[in-house]
Amino acid sequence: MCGGIAVRNAAVFSPCPDASVLFDPVLDKETVLNGKAGEIVIAYAIRRVLMLIPVLIGMSIITFSIVHAIPGSPAQAILGDRANPEAVKQLNESMGLNDPLYVQYFRYLGNVLQGDLGTSYKTGRPILDEIGPYLAATVELAVMAMIIAVFFGVNLGILSAWRQNSAIDYTSMVIALIGVSMPIFWLGLLEQWVFAQELGWLPSNGRIDPRMTFESITHFYFIDALIQGDFYALQDAFNHIWLPAIALGTIPMAIIARMTRSSMLEVMRSDYIRTARAKGVGEVLIVYKHALKNAFIPILTVFGLQMGLLLGGAVLTETIFSWPGIGRYLYDAIVSRDYPVIQSGILVIATIFVLINLIVDLLYAYVDPRIQYGKE
Amino acid sequence: MANTLLEISELKMHFHTDKGVVKAVDGVDITVREGEIVGLVGESGCGKSVTSLSVMGLVPQPPGKIAGGSIKFNGKELTTLSAKELQKLRGNEMAMIFQEPMTSLNPVFTIGNQMVEAIRLHKKEVSKQEARALALEALKSVGIARDGVLDEYPHQLSGGMRQRVMIAMAMVCNPKLLIADEPTTALDVTIQAQILDLMRKLNKETNTAILMITHDLGVVAELCERVIVMYAGQVVEEADVRTLFKNPKHPYTAGLLKSIPQLDQRRKRLYSIPGNVPNPRNMPKGCRFAPRCEFAMEVCREKEPELSPIEKNHISRCWLHSEQKEEADRDIVGNTASSS
Ligand SMILES: Nc1ncnc2c1ncn2[C@@H]1O[C@H](COP(=O)(O)OP(=O)(O)OP(=O)(O)O)[C@@H](O)[C@H]1O
Ligand code: SF4
Ligand SMILES: [Mg+2]
Repeated sequence: MCGGIAVRNAAVFSPCPDASVLFDPVLDKETVLNGKAGEIVIAYAIRRVLMLIPVLIGMSIITFSIVHAIPGSPAQAILGDRANPEAVKQLNESMGLNDPLYVQYFRYLGNVLQGDLGTSYKTGRPILDEIGPYLAATVELAVMAMIIAVFFGVNLGILSAWRQNSAIDYTSMVIALIGVSMPIFWLGLLEQWVFAQELGWLPSNGRIDPRMTFESITHFYFIDALIQGDFYALQDAFNHIWLPAIALGTIPMAIIARMTRSSMLEVMRSDYIRTARAKGVGEVLIVYKHALKNAFIPILTVFGLQMGLLLGGAVLTETIFSWPGIGRYLYDAIVSRDYPVIQSGILVIATIFVLINLIVDLLYAYVDPRIQYGKE
Repeated sequence: MANTLLEISELKMHFHTDKGVVKAVDGVDITVREGEIVGLVGESGCGKSVTSLSVMGLVPQPPGKIAGGSIKFNGKELTTLSAKELQKLRGNEMAMIFQEPMTSLNPVFTIGNQMVEAIRLHKKEVSKQEARALALEALKSVGIARDGVLDEYPHQLSGGMRQRVMIAMAMVCNPKLLIADEPTTALDVTIQAQILDLMRKLNKETNTAILMITHDLGVVAELCERVIVMYAGQVVEEADVRTLFKNPKHPYTAGLLKSIPQLDQRRKRLYSIPGNVPNPRNMPKGCRFAPRCEFAMEVCREKEPELSPIEKNHISRCWLHSEQKEEADRDIVGNTASSS
């Protein structure tokens, strides 16, 4: 009863088992009507957010240590290889890089807690101001990649399960296998070669045509284009995002397809599917209503993990397609040993990763009413 | 006598598996008349579920394949009906409930959603609001009066309640035939009795015929007018309840009746038919019950007996009561004589 997300009758936010009387964990109608259900979910969310703190502190310690284990000093990086050693030493001193590591760490942590992510050595600007557009670009790309991955992955999986062991099934699963094993950089280059260079259908890099007079307000180009009613820009943004989104979405698509297939195969054998058939429900509704919502529970897990990975790990794709995202931002920071950017960038990505998994956990309850927010 | 509603004759449903053909149903004849309650009994694996699923068109094909026979429902031949046509009948004119109330409802949709779906699939003109009202009414008629049950999920109900919901859902379009595949097996005794009462009540009120599948002869005695006994994919005896219980003709039926625990013989060991059901991949030649039958004769091991009338409304598949026995005996003697 004390397991992660506990099913029915588990105590909510309370040590098992005594306190379970205090909280009725079942989201019955009264609870819903009284708005208690919302409270339960919010309380759970708050608890999970609080639990993020130790996780993030752990993350910050790890990134801090890794960054400082990298040989070469930032002062050297800033001043260049042929800089005067005296100047390097002085700069190190003035940036506090000669202080003991723990002092440096606590200084950094204190700043972060005050909302100060530090200042980029390279540009001299606050990271908090600088990171927004990069983050927006990455989110836009990741969301698009995920839409592609979910749409094709789920349908491919359904198709496979629906005609198990048929030619359709084998073809879909071969596609999925190629999808997981295809190196992203290779797929990206292939796409660029075919669709940009040979066919000339789509632009090979960037987020939008640089000649376009386009003013970004939110840094999400799709939203910007929509607010401003600039459909030409919208079209252009679409053209630019297809290739990187496909490259990025291929692996999650393949994983989701395989997950959907196995999950659907299991669900389609269950008694309630037989009941639905006995009621006279048609095949399409059986698959897309009765089976898919059940099959979605494990798919959601994969979705959460992959989404987290896409947001943080799009470095390759962003580099190939010159996509000005967080991956590129970090990559550049690593090349120029921009310690504060590396640390804060990773911290931001880790935070997003954990937040997405939190959202996914909350979504479970929407998909599966049996899930209760129990003790961790 | 009421009109015939369901007439299954010589039905053969075979499964083509990697390990060979499983003749799960191999010559089954069942007749159900309007408004009647018929019991279908037999040991586990004798093909009761496959028979009923065949009627509903719910046997997965492949691996299943109708190898012969016919199923006539309300004058329509079901074995040749298109999938679409069958789908229109299911849940509308014929409905089915299952053994597993705990898993037979979809866990991620509310009771209301599932009930409303059952109604609106077949009555497109009914609005959502009306359908909800109908659903509530149907639930009341099965004894669920709880307010707000439409907005509850299956996991919030007990097994007995879920089976009631299943029954309400099956009855909501007023089917002519309800197939109940061991609807009480998974429930405890008091709930069992309630569900049986409920089914009897619904049968009286709506004149829905019920094909009651069970391996519990007690259930049959309590509910049914007529009983059909199946063994190894075939019907072996059929009679009205009283005749069957008083005067079983087939040795298998007699064995089944003997194995019901009785109050006055509490101390004796419970009788059970010796041996095991035959492997459906490898049925014995001749009478399928012969390896377990205490009356087995030579002819039993050689030739399969046919389902034949013994007296009015009483038929059995056994050489003991067959008029063709002498003829068959002669054949066998002739055969052995000529072969030696
Ligand atoms: N899909 C299938 N593939 C292969 N064999 C099957 C399949 N479905 C059923 N069978 C076989 O058909 C036979 C009859 O099964 P059925 O479920 O009808 O038995 P039953 O009389 O309902 O038994 P029970 O009382 O246990 O429910 C069994 O031997 C079973 O193994
Ligand atoms: S036919 Fe023979 S073996 Fe079969 S039940 Fe009758 S007596 Fe027994
Ligand atoms: Mg069965």
